[in-house]
Amino acid sequence: LPQLRDFLLVYNRMTELCFRHCVCNLNYRLLTAREESCLDSCAAKLLHSNHRLMRAYVGLVPSLLQRRAADPPPGTARGEPG
Amino acid sequence: MDPLRAQQLAAELEVDMMADMYNRMTQACHRKCVPPHYKEAELSKGESVCLDRCVAKYLEVHERMGKKLTELSLQDEELLKRMQQGT
Repeated sequence: LPQLRDFLLVYNRMTELCFRHCVCNLNYRLLTAREESCLDSCAAKLLHSNHRLMRAYVGLVPSLLQRRAADPPPGTARGEPG
Repeated sequence: MDPLRAQQLAAELEVDMMADMYNRMTQACHRKCVPPHYKEAELSKGESVCLDRCVAKYLEVHERMGKKLTELSLQDEELLKRMQQGT
């Protein structure tokens, strides 16, 4: 369920972002062909950028945690939870 | 987890997400249709019509995004399956 919640939040954010960027013509109730094309590209681009970000993050986090364990930030002592 | 409890949680989640969507839609349509010159309290005809169309379009976009997300996720799953079968 937490995963479903995250997915649904991403869905809502995507809708908001792509709507803001792609829908500019409020003279009609229906989407224009240009808007539809923009929305499709927007959705695909956001999904791909999400994947890429995740890959980069997953790649960098282990070394970040290693560095933190070896050299804890100021205000925390070694071996103590910070 | 008890299936009935899971169903109840899923229903609550859906309500939460619909409320979240509604709030985002309100904000987006207000930005697009109501310029920040608050000279009078009543909505003009133009602003009212704009808001009606904005809501219709936002819901259309929401549905379209859902279909697109599902389509792209299924494509990714297919690709992953083919890659795993190939190794």
